[in-house]
Formats: sequence, C-alpha cells, structure tokens
Amino acid sequence: MIEVKNLTFSYGKDKQALHGLNFTVEDGEIFGFLGPNGSGKSTTQKILTGILKGHGGRVSLFGQDPSAVRGPEFFRKIGVLFEFPYLYANLSAVENLEYFASFYPGEQRRDVGELLDMLEFKRDFLKKPVSSYSKGMRQRVSMARALVSSPRLLFLDEPTSGLDPSGAVLFRKIIEQERKKGTTVFVTTHNMVDADLLCDRVAFISNGNLVALDTPKRLKEKNSNHRVVIDYLYQGQRETKTVEAPELEAGIPFAHDGIISIHSQEPTLEDMFIQYTGRGLS
Amino acid sequence: MGKGFCALFKKDCRMLVSGKFFLMALGFLVLYTAYVNLGYIRFMQMPPYNVYLYDPTGIQTEKSPLVQIVSSMEAMDAVLLSDANGVGLDASAGEVRVVLYKGAEHVDRHRADYALSLLEPSASPAPEVLGTNTPEQKARKEITCELLFFELAAVGFLGIAAVLFKEKGMGVIRVHAILPVRKDLFLLSKLAVFLLSDLAFAVLLTLLNVGLNDGAAVLPAVLLQTAILSLMMALVGLLCALLLKDFRQFTLAYLVIAIFAATPVFLSANTSIKLDWIGYHPFYHVYMGLKNAYFGTDISPAYYAGAAGVIALLFLVVRLAFHREIGKEG
Repeated sequence: MIEVKNLTFSYGKDKQALHGLNFTVEDGEIFGFLGPNGSGKSTTQKILTGILKGHGGRVSLFGQDPSAVRGPEFFRKIGVLFEFPYLYANLSAVENLEYFASFYPGEQRRDVGELLDMLEFKRDFLKKPVSSYSKGMRQRVSMARALVSSPRLLFLDEPTSGLDPSGAVLFRKIIEQERKKGTTVFVTTHNMVDADLLCDRVAFISNGNLVALDTPKRLKEKNSNHRVVIDYLYQGQRETKTVEAPELEAGIPFAHDGIISIHSQEPTLEDMFIQYTGRGLS
Repeated sequence: MGKGFCALFKKDCRMLVSGKFFLMALGFLVLYTAYVNLGYIRFMQMPPYNVYLYDPTGIQTEKSPLVQIVSSMEAMDAVLLSDANGVGLDASAGEVRVVLYKGAEHVDRHRADYALSLLEPSASPAPEVLGTNTPEQKARKEITCELLFFELAAVGFLGIAAVLFKEKGMGVIRVHAILPVRKDLFLLSKLAVFLLSDLAFAVLLTLLNVGLNDGAAVLPAVLLQTAILSLMMALVGLLCALLLKDFRQFTLAYLVIAIFAATPVFLSANTSIKLDWIGYHPFYHVYMGLKNAYFGTDISPAYYAGAAGVIALLFLVVRLAFHREIGKEG
C-alpha cells in the first residue's frame, strides 16, 4: 500500500527534516508512526498525502507517487484526520459532513447520520453550529469526515486527542472495524496506549531518522530483562521476589503458601522509545 | 469538476450569508442611494453662494431671482455675519460695491464675479456646451462612479479578506488540500461569488442613482470595468489574507489601500489638482476606466491588455501563497 525508500525532505537549504526514511505499510495494516514534536512525523504524513512536494527518494501509494498526482483519483482513496479538528464553526456537524462528502462520488459516500451515530455523537447537537461543540464532539465530527468517503487508506493524526477514556475506547474499536473492512491505517500519535493496543507495527522517528520498526510486542520483548516479580504469602507474611523467567519453567523456585500476583518486568513502549531515541515523547 | 465548484460556491455563499456580507452590501446600497438622491444631487443644484443686495433706489432691475434683498447696510452686515461665505452687493451709491468676508484670493474673485453676474443674467456669455449630459446627469454619474469604486476597492476587498481570514483561523483551508477537487477551484469559487455580488451591486447602484434609461445605456461598459476592478481587489484581498498573520495586520493594509492609495486617485481624477506621478498609480487607470465607462468614453485596448495581465499575475501569486498556506503546520 505504502512504500517509502530513502525519503528525504528539506525546508530550505539548511533545514533537513527527513534523512532517508525506509518503510512499507501493507494492505489492511495499522501502522503507527511515533516521534516527538519536530521529529518529522507531520512532514512525512504531508508527503504521503500529497500536500508537500519536492521530496527526495521514492514514495509510492497505490503504486503512484503522491507528489506527481494531478487528478482527484488519488484523493478519493484517502481519508485524513488532522491533528486539530478543522471544521466550519458556523455550520453544524451535518452541514460540515455533507459539504465535505459532496466532493466524493455518491457510491463512495457513507450516510452522515449513521456515521455520527456510530461515533456516539449527541443527537441534540446535530444541527447546532460546531462553535458550540466540546473538543471531544469536534473530534468525533472530524473522524466522521475522515470516514465519510469510505477511504482505502486512512491517515489518523492523534486520533484520541480530546476524547475521554470511553471515547478513546470507542475510537480504537472503530479503527479496528475499519481495518477489518480492509482499510489500511497510518496512525501518527504520542499516545503509547493507542499505539500499543492498535498498531500491528510501529516505527519510531527521531530527528528525521527511523530508529526502530517492529511490532510493539517484539520491540518490548527484544528489550526485556526477562524477569518476573512475584508477590506471595509465606507463613502468614506477604513477600515479594524477582526471579529470571526461565527459572519458572520448573515451577515456583521458592517456598510459598500462596501466590498473590506475577508481573513481568517487560518495558513499556515509551521506555523503548526513550531507549532508541534518547528523548521522551513530549 | 463542475460538481466540486458548485459545492465550493454554495459553501462560500453560506459563509458570506453567515458573515452578513450581503446584508452589509445591501445596507451600503441603501445608504449610497439615499446620499445621492436626498443629499448630493440637491446640494449640487444649490447656488454656490448666497448673494445679498442693498439697493435703496431700486436701480438693479434685471437682477436674478437668486439675489436676496436686504433693507439696510446694518441688515447686510448681520446677514453676512451669519453667512460668511455669502456675498453682499451695495448699490446705495449708484455704482455696485462688493462686500464680503475675505477668504482665499482666487475664491474671493470667483465669489465677486458670480455675485455681479447675477445682477445682469442676460449679459452673461453663453458658452458652447460640450457633451450631452445635463449637469444633473453628470453629477449623478460622477458620484455613482466614485461610490462604486469605493465599494469595490474598500468594502469588497474587506469582505473577501474577512471570509478567508475566518477559514484560515478555522484551519479548513488545509482540509481542502486532501479533497478530490482541483485546488484552484477553492480560489475561483471565491472570486466568482464576489464577482457576481459586485456585478449585482453595480447594476443596482447604477440604475438607482444614474436613472433607468441613462443607467441601462452605460451598464455593459460599467459591468466590464466592475468585473476588472472586482477581480483585482478580490485577488489583492485574498493575497493579504493569505500572507498576513492576523486581521490586525490586515486592517493596516486596508487603511493603506483604502485611504492612501485611493485618495490621490479621487483628487487627481475629480479636482483640478494635477499630480505628475499619478500616471504610475495603478488605481488611477482603473478608476479612469470606470469613469470613462459611465461617460461613454472609449477605452484603449492597451488598458484591457494591462488589466488582463495584472489579473493573471495576481492569480498566480495568490495560487502560490495558497499552496504555501495549505502545507503549513497546524
């Protein structure tokens, strides 16, 4: 679906933003693109969506370079959720969605009402102007705009930003449903929970370089110290012991009356990012 | 492409309706029409100065009805004190003596000559009149031309910039970068909305203030000039809105264009003030194009070629600025 080879880009002579990125995104994959502010995430996404032209290296989406795209065909196949909910504040959710949907062929458009229902949008606000919406409601309308054209490739920039925990769960569920329909999803995020729960593979970008690319699970496993922490009861006392994971193959290697909990000492995705880049995700 | 353009056009109309632009244009139309018909034309028909005559012996028999008689020199002093622009004529000594409060020398001469001419209206030379417009027609065309120019150059310019600033502020311009529609249509639909709105305004303003018959006769030429000025100002408005950071900066640009750029044009085109450099002022040529359209004077093909070139150049620059804007960070 997406093929990027030795991608470079500069803003002017002295500001090299991307230093030769290489990655591919398969059909139907949820691909996470993680990096701190200013690392080159947005630049990469803009190149992939055909907004920024003049890159070096090779980029291919649906078998064509987005910067060489002239007609509307390419844009009919993609949906983009921007980092900020860009909507007409004087129009309602329905009017906004009907306006943006009007640029796509009828057979490609999804029903605006159904979409908003799926996103659990409050019905009383359907015809009120966007200016009266909360951040979460705007994010729902923006998500609906990205989905209204039934895109084959979905770019999501911070999809759960501004949502409460139940909204974030709903969005992740919807993204999963889209993937099941065969949509490829390219997620740019700071949210490690989203990346961990949603993405088949994640790429870490730092200072315009791709520093790691793998499944979240393998990234964590590769860097795990393979230890487990066991809380247990022995002779009426609660105690804690850290043991090497292979030691457990023969059973619990110490005397105990009962096990309270076993926790693996696996690093988090954020720990991995800091390890690979030396920087936090702020 | 047609469908995309229609969607953009409809949305731009809604933006203008919600921004009360059409209501504002209608308000200006009413205001201008009231000013022309209830103020300006009446003012232009009034005599330039009041003339007062003290003629105790009644020797001035041919005097114009515009001359007002006073009963004594004390009454003359009193009336001139309250009307300092008025001119007094004292015929008490046989020969007429002009009495007035001093102003600029050339104006005082004009006031005196005018007052004396009213004593012998039949003796005034009958000049050869050029052109077919009556003084009222001329006044109506001149003021309508000025008001239309002001509306297009200042008010329309402000309107288009306000709409784009709003879209820029909401960030929706960036969404259009990924829509399956030609990016130029985003600009073209705005130009089309403002062009149609300006043309409708020009039709109504001309017919209401120049008159139905006279207005209809000059309308095709006026609409062509309106289209030229409307496109130029809309493109300048778009460019300012794309390049300037906020509406405050734009207000400054607006003042520069509306006051400092338009004032010398009005002065040079409508008064006897001659500015050597005015030929280099782009607004002067556009204003004269509009004025020539109202007075049925031929316009050089070079002007049309220049106007087309300027519009094409402005469009290319605006397009460049627009593509830069849609690629910006959030």
